[in-house]
Amino acid sequence: MSATNTENLRPVIPAASDPLLLAASAAVAAVFVRAVRFTPVELRQGPAQKIFYVHAPAAWVAFLAFSVVALAGVLYLWLRDPRLDRIAESSAEVGLVFNTVVLVTGPLWAKPVWGTWWTWDARLTLTLFLWLIYLGYVVLRGAIDDREMRARYASVLGVLGALLIPFIHLSVYLFRTLHPQPIVLKPSAPSLPGEMLTTLLLSFLAFTLLYIALVRSRYRLATLYLALEQERRV
Amino acid sequence: MPTNAGYYHAAYLAAAAIYLVYAGTLLWRARRVHARVVAQRRTV
Repeated sequence: MSATNTENLRPVIPAASDPLLLAASAAVAAVFVRAVRFTPVELRQGPAQKIFYVHAPAAWVAFLAFSVVALAGVLYLWLRDPRLDRIAESSAEVGLVFNTVVLVTGPLWAKPVWGTWWTWDARLTLTLFLWLIYLGYVVLRGAIDDREMRARYASVLGVLGALLIPFIHLSVYLFRTLHPQPIVLKPSAPSLPGEMLTTLLLSFLAFTLLYIALVRSRYRLATLYLALEQERRV
Repeated sequence: MPTNAGYYHAAYLAAAAIYLVYAGTLLWRARRVHARVVAQRRTV
């Protein structure tokens, strides 16, 4: 057997026995049930407003994930620790999944409320650009064989991509848009009735837990890829 | 009140499907790569 630092390769943990992923999935399922069954319907928008409890937390987690990519990228460029690159890689892929949920659920909410699936206003367009940048990030990683070069280029792209996040959040103040202004993440108190706010906050928590669980699983996969690369070089 | 529950049913189903498919690909890739690492070690 080769003498590499991957000899203590962990066995693959089936998703069904990963306690954190199980807990996160259960939390998200519970929030879905609470949103559907036990949260009042908003009178003006009707039941379609309940998309809010998926759409907004998914957007929050996508922003969180890409911020982690940027932070890990900066730290990688400074410290050159490959674990930071694996964290960035994992967070980018998971963030892309949550950003996809935002882009799918957004039009499903826009159609009944705005009368159109899509409009090229600042927030929607920038969110689509964010998705494209991190899709490019994932493709870039797959296109470069040299590990150090891949980590360096990806770190730079990850940092630059995250610069869009504050613009997306502030776009509803800076540009004319159909998109509503923030009702929770704003300087003044949240403007939501109590039951709706509780469901939304629980949803934020459940989605954040799901993000952590998925990044953990993806990080293990990145470690496995590293082991495979090292075995091939021996 | 508007009757538009179909949209939120579709959104919840789409979100659940996206997460499940992604979690599934994680497990599938992990098994595949793990098997390749083990096979590689046997040949060395």
